[in-house]
Amino acid sequence: MSQTVTEAPATTEPRGGKAALSEGKKAERRLGLLLCAPAAIVMLAVTGYPIAYSIWLSLQRYDLRFPAERQFVGLDNYVAVLSNSYWWTAFGTTMFLTVVSVAIELVLGMALALIMHRTLVGRGLVRTVTLVPYGIVTVVAAFSWFYAWTPETGYLANALAGDGAPLTEQWPSLWIIILAEVWKTTPFMALLLMAGLALVPDDLLKAASMDGANAWQRFTKVMVPVMKPAILVALLFRTLDAFRIFDNIFVLTKGANDTSSVSMQTYNNLIKGLNLGIGSTMSVLIFITVALIAFVFIKVFGTAAPGSDQGGKR
Amino acid sequence: MRKSAAVLGAAIVGAGTLTACGAEGGKQINVYYAPEDNFQTVVDRCNEQADGEYRIVYNKLPRDADGQREQMVRRLAAGDETMDVLGLDVTWVPEFAEAGWIEEWTGANKEAAERDVLPGPLETARWDGKLYAAPKNTNVRLLWYDDRITPEPPRTWDEMMRMSRELKQQGEPYQILFTGAQYEGLVVTFNSIVESAGGRILSEDGQSVVMDDGAVRALEILKEVTTSGLTDPSLTNQQEDQVRQAMQSGRGAFELNWPFVYASWAAEQPDSLQHFKWAPYPGVGSPDSGRSTIGGYNLAVSSASRQKPEAFEAALCLRSAENQKFSALNDGVPPTVESVYTDETPLDPSKPADPEDNPSMATEYPMKDTILAELKDAAVRPLTPAYQNLSTVMSKILSPPSEIDPQRTADELRNQLTDALDSKGVIP
Amino acid sequence: MAVTTGRKARWALIDVVVVVYALFPVLWIASLSFKTKETLADGNFIPREWTLQNYADIFATNEFIRPLINSLGIATIATLIAVVLGMMAAYAIARLDFPGKKALIGVSLLIAMFPQISLVTPLFNIESALGLFDTWPGLILPYITFALPLAIYTLSAFFREIPWELEKAAKMDGATPGQAFWRVIAPLAAPGVFTTAILVFIFCWNDFVFAISLTSTEASRTVPAALSFFTGTSQFEDPTGTISAAAVVITVPIVLFVLFFQRRIVAGLTSGAVKG
Repeated sequence: MSQTVTEAPATTEPRGGKAALSEGKKAERRLGLLLCAPAAIVMLAVTGYPIAYSIWLSLQRYDLRFPAERQFVGLDNYVAVLSNSYWWTAFGTTMFLTVVSVAIELVLGMALALIMHRTLVGRGLVRTVTLVPYGIVTVVAAFSWFYAWTPETGYLANALAGDGAPLTEQWPSLWIIILAEVWKTTPFMALLLMAGLALVPDDLLKAASMDGANAWQRFTKVMVPVMKPAILVALLFRTLDAFRIFDNIFVLTKGANDTSSVSMQTYNNLIKGLNLGIGSTMSVLIFITVALIAFVFIKVFGTAAPGSDQGGKR
Repeated sequence: MRKSAAVLGAAIVGAGTLTACGAEGGKQINVYYAPEDNFQTVVDRCNEQADGEYRIVYNKLPRDADGQREQMVRRLAAGDETMDVLGLDVTWVPEFAEAGWIEEWTGANKEAAERDVLPGPLETARWDGKLYAAPKNTNVRLLWYDDRITPEPPRTWDEMMRMSRELKQQGEPYQILFTGAQYEGLVVTFNSIVESAGGRILSEDGQSVVMDDGAVRALEILKEVTTSGLTDPSLTNQQEDQVRQAMQSGRGAFELNWPFVYASWAAEQPDSLQHFKWAPYPGVGSPDSGRSTIGGYNLAVSSASRQKPEAFEAALCLRSAENQKFSALNDGVPPTVESVYTDETPLDPSKPADPEDNPSMATEYPMKDTILAELKDAAVRPLTPAYQNLSTVMSKILSPPSEIDPQRTADELRNQLTDALDSKGVIP
Repeated sequence: MAVTTGRKARWALIDVVVVVYALFPVLWIASLSFKTKETLADGNFIPREWTLQNYADIFATNEFIRPLINSLGIATIATLIAVVLGMMAAYAIARLDFPGKKALIGVSLLIAMFPQISLVTPLFNIESALGLFDTWPGLILPYITFALPLAIYTLSAFFREIPWELEKAAKMDGATPGQAFWRVIAPLAAPGVFTTAILVFIFCWNDFVFAISLTSTEASRTVPAALSFFTGTSQFEDPTGTISAAAVVITVPIVLFVLFFQRRIVAGLTSGAVKG
């Protein structure tokens, strides 16, 4: 039980409690800034301008094909997008896909993590094999599903769909998109969860076992609480990512039959339609939505935002 | 034979990029064009002809049209000076011209680019009464059928649907196959029927939406054919290649598709090739009213290019009658120059024509007379700088075709296409 | 003894389920890659006619080999840099008190959340102005950037759980904070680092959006982008066979990569809790 004695000095000391910084404290600050500087500089250098530029563009009427008509329009683009039914249909679809696929991924990912962590035989094999779906290029995997569900060509369509063509109807398409997403990203979930599993002290499980706890109780009462930070981090990352789903839909349906996501719409307006104003507005809206999701995760569920002192320990 | 040519081509590309680095002093003309297996050989032939005055380098664009357009537009908008010759899909010329990205063709260049070119393809290279590109190759959809199932092909949509129903009752392959997925191919199908019905989507000048009775008639036909159980269950996920495969797998009686399907059938099912027949695009009402929408590529010169005279010259060479014939025989892209269709000399003029290793227009394009006839009265997709928006909106509203309500859908199209033309509002 | 055998059998069964789940779609692509052109669309899970033609085709030209080298090089370099930078930042975040910590986390989350597709055009403009367009660094830089939030996040989660009293002990023995980091903590952090490295490598290996927008020739085009330059025998035919073959080939490095690091991860994890 080393966990309890490992409270780091930085987090136990009351912040700003001392009048003057000691030498050690100063050195710590310097080191902290020094260590973070390279990462911060790279991230800001590459993305600072593009993000600011997108926000600026979202306030303008700007179509690449009609450059002469460029003008500042304030929030008009936001009004146009937010009052448009295509946008809201796509928004609903995206929400649905995100919630359902992340929920399934959590359950399967947990199961996979447990298997990878505890299996007695072929541990190496299982761990390696599980990561294959994650490693496969998304576009190629989507392409595999596309062919599998195409009548005649595909074994799944022939075996399961009878005469129908599942990728031509809204609901079957959505479930196939979810299937492709889940298959592809469950290993990611499992990997992050496994990292959390490794933190569950063995003696704690043994003790619980001796106290007569069954497997399910051991799981919910001992493992899940210890793993909570890892679970929330995994959920946060997957949700942020799932909300921006693009590749799978692009290959499987191209957004036909109301299966378009908000990222597909952004692509259609920004890259294909060359309407920089409307397209950037959509990007910013996606960004805001995703930021809200992150906010909820961190503030409401208490996801360990690194640095929000001892956030992960609660 | 095709394979070895491709390998040779690639080897030359490899060698080419190496020598390009060594400064020879000669000018380098960068051509950006879709992947075409043997286009490098055409480039090499033109380099030989240029005799050191300049060197053409073939930069491949991605396979799908959207990807091609995206890459070029991104670089053109940024004023990239390293692009000289651009391969444009037939629907992009107005957009690129209006944005000031491509140069107008004038004088002797214009004359050479227009010489003997079929009217349909030429129309796609023009905007605002001026010529902005040189037609490189064209394409036209025909009606394909199996003469064991239907000895006489239908000549109108009504006839085709009637025959299909009868075949279905008799338990024969009966499906009517065409591109019905929510993408450009559905727009091509729709546009062909509209034009066949004598209708219009946009006004002549491309400034306003018309959607007249002919367009409504086309909506009725699309609705009818997709709701009477005559199409493939996968219709709304089918693009050109899926349509081809459905026909080859024996499900279809009729297929509306580009001529590449003939070469594929010849390669994959040579035994039954003799029964795979073609006919003009079906009409609406009268038998001869069928008009097929044309595809293909045009070559344009970038306005940002710093070596325009050479770029024009290079573009002209790449699409010369002789090279169009080479590409037609090796890569299956139909020529835009009329005389090529009647050219009987095989690829290697010193030997007699042979379908196996010395093809001629007659051996590779037995359907060339039908293609030529279609091209002389072809349908062109609406010419407007906002075509991409128009296409996205149309394919969305027309999907799925079985849920079209002709009058209401026509109104919806009229409203949303008007917005799309003004680049207002949101694209689905 | 019987109990262990029974448990082993049960685990073996579960393993089989996992393996089938993970590999089924992969086997399907592999199967497509071995089919001949004529049988490609026959819907059989196992090819009726086997051929290696698709593999011969992709290795016959530079169109696949060069991108494969680019992919390997770019992903490896980007992973190395991202993990090193991420480790430094994550250590500081997990362990040190300094101003601007919250800002850094905020910024990295912001970056992780912005839709990548909307960054493509401005990034292109910057890169072509700086001469980075169509070069290795032109892809490595954005990859590092978008991998860093993930790297920092996962690494700092790992770092927070490391027994830090060892570091204290090292410091008491006279090591500087820097030495304490590299000599004592870094080895302990290895499992977390390797896990992160896998995630980052796969992210770089998979990227399509940047690869297609920030490259234009074989000088830097990576495999996912190169797939969209493959051609069928005509403009409208999908090169299904060759794409499948390429997919199989580019899956191999991932498997090798995982196999290689797999031992390190297991070693790290088993030292703690896993005894069955």
